[in-house]
This record gives sequence, C-alpha cells and structure tokens, in this order.
Amino acid sequence: MNGLVEHRRRITLGILRVSIGLCLAMLLAGVVLFLVHGGAAQPANPGGSLPYILDAVLHRGGMLHAGAFLVAGLLVLLFTPVARLIAGVYVSARARDGVYVLIGLVVLGLVLVGMILGGG
Amino acid sequence: MNPLLIVSSMLLGGLVAGVIGSLTGLGGGLVIVPFLTLVFHLPVPQAVGVSLFGVIATSTGAAPRFVGTGLANVRVGLFLQVAASSGALLGALISHRVPAHFLFLIFGIVMLYSAIMSFVPTSHDAAGAARSSPLAERFRLASRYRDGDHWVAYQVAGVAPAFAIMVGAGFLSALLGIGSGVFKVLAMDKLMRLPFKVSTATSNFMIGMTAATSAGYYLSHGDIPPLTAGAVILGVIAGAYAGGHWMKRIPTRLLRRLFAVVLCVVALDMLLKGFGL
Repeated sequence: MNGLVEHRRRITLGILRVSIGLCLAMLLAGVVLFLVHGGAAQPANPGGSLPYILDAVLHRGGMLHAGAFLVAGLLVLLFTPVARLIAGVYVSARARDGVYVLIGLVVLGLVLVGMILGGG
Repeated sequence: MNPLLIVSSMLLGGLVAGVIGSLTGLGGGLVIVPFLTLVFHLPVPQAVGVSLFGVIATSTGAAPRFVGTGLANVRVGLFLQVAASSGALLGALISHRVPAHFLFLIFGIVMLYSAIMSFVPTSHDAAGAARSSPLAERFRLASRYRDGDHWVAYQVAGVAPAFAIMVGAGFLSALLGIGSGVFKVLAMDKLMRLPFKVSTATSNFMIGMTAATSAGYYLSHGDIPPLTAGAVILGVIAGAYAGGHWMKRIPTRLLRRLFAVVLCVVALDMLLKGFGL
C-alpha cells in the first residue's frame, strides 16, 4: 500500500511540475509574441468544441501566432486538475477500489460535459 | 491604449491578486473579478472565466505543498467533488442567463461575508468526530495523517449536509469566478469535523477541479480573452510565488484584516452597482 501511495505522490508531483512549467512557457511566449508583432489586435476568443479549439491552436501555432500559444497555455492549465483526476482514477484502479474508480469517472464526466455544453 | 501598458496593467492586477490570495488565504478570485469588471470594464462572464483560470493556477501552484503529506483526504475530496462539480456545472449553465446587476449583488454579499469572517476568531474542534457516520463508513472516508513522528487518526461525520454545501460552493464558484475555499473548508471543518489541516489540504485538492468544470464551459463558450487571461495568470502565478516567500516575514493576520477592510469597500461598490446606483 505504501508503494502505491508513493506511486501516486510521484505521478501527482510530476504532473504538477510539468504542467505549470509548460503553461508558464506557453503563456509567456504568447504575451511576448503579441508585443513583438506590434500588439495591433488582441487575439480572438477561442470557442466551440474542444477538437475545434485544438485544431486552431495546432494550425496557428506553427505560424507563431500569439493567440495559439496563449490558448495552448490555457488548455494545459485547464487539463492539470483533469490529469490529476485521471492519475487518481488510475491509482484507484490499481488498488482495485471500484467505488472510487466510479466516483472519479463521474467527476471526469462532469468536467467533460461542461466543455461539450459550452461548445454547443 | 498602448499594448505594453495593457499587458503590464493586467500582469500587475494578477500579481496583486496572487500576492493577496496567498498571503491572506482568501483567494485571488475576490480580486480578479472586481479588477477586470470595475477597472477594465470587461463583461462579467469574461471576468468570471478569466478568474476561474486564475483559481486553477493558484490551486495548482499551491498543490505541491500538500502532495505527499497525507493531509489531503483524497477519498473525501473525490466524494465531495461529485457535488462541487455538479454545482459548478449548474452555475456555468445558468451564468449567461443571470443579469449582471444580480451577479454584482451576489458577489458583493460573498465579499462582505469573506471580509466579516476575517474578523471572526477561528475556533477548531481539536477533538474531531468521535465516530464516523454510516455514510462515511460506507465510503471509507475516515483516515489518518502524519504529525511529526506520529500518526493522527480521525473519524468523519456530517457527510450529507457537507455534500449539500459543496453543491452550493461549486455553484457560486462557477457563477462568480471564485475558488469557494472558504465554504469548502467551513463544511469540512464544522460539519464533517475533519482536522483543520486536512480540511485546508482537501479543499486545495478540490478547488482546481471545481474551477476546471466551469472554466471548460466558459472557454468553449468563447468567454476567455486569451491575452487578458494569459497576462493575468502569469501575474497570479508570480504573485502567489512571491506571497509564499513573504508569508514568513509579514504579519499575515494584520494583512488579512487590512485586506478585509478593502474587501468591504469594493463589496459596497459592487452592491451599489447591483442596485443600479
């Protein structure tokens, strides 16, 4: 059981460190690109379904578009708690704790429903 | 307005929110929404959406402090998260149908409540619950945490009323762009009778997930201006980091009370806006 707790600790810390670093780098790059490009117009608000937003980020990211980097940073931040939740579900599954796997999946479902309804 | 000035002022707003949030424990949301609506005249849903991302940032930034300490009760957090995320989803769904003046009214009331709570001496039940409630037993919520070189076991009571409070906390979080930590800690401390350290750590675990439920909705709905959000979040993270370092040197109790006075003034401004004055 102690091994499992340590496993959960390492996964969680890894997720937190990587995502905060990635989020900061993306947001900083976005702000700098906005200023370097003259700051003529603020990037448009992203919207629609998640695949649509992701597609726009990937498409414009290659063109060093400030908005793409900013939205990518926001997506990384948004998915950090989700990734922690998925890690929790995984650890519960390894411990064969079916009740908490189910509870974790319900919470995950609620987060995804929010995204789907917002895009609709 | 000069682009550099726009970015700088938003960074500064986020920085102030991050510092105040980490030093006072009241959360950055109470600063970001008034800052963006009253100073930058951003529409309320956009200010709320940006603030929710700020809440995720502060929660994520503070999380490594709690990970591995055993203080956060993951089972309690996940169980109550069902309620908090349901409330958050409900709040996000109706957010665009609630008139702005009504949101200012609710925000003003929540701010006043948070300010008043800063002056009320906190009393924690050191003994905790004598035995777990049947629901807590069924979901195996009782646990233990390490305090120095020994383990402290605790029981869990009042699960059903705390679950109901979490629906409300999630609802307010989504509607107002706040972490609702004050309500979450209150429910776990007073109703479930968890040790205070466990309540704060578990609340931190939950706040990010609650905010993510509604932030996803606001993002997909097109309510997040990326530049504003990016600059504010960079400021929030830097401010929270600086606040964490200053915490040991600054008398936080005095600061918390000073901030409460400022909160009262801003709350009155929000209430006046709510009443159309």
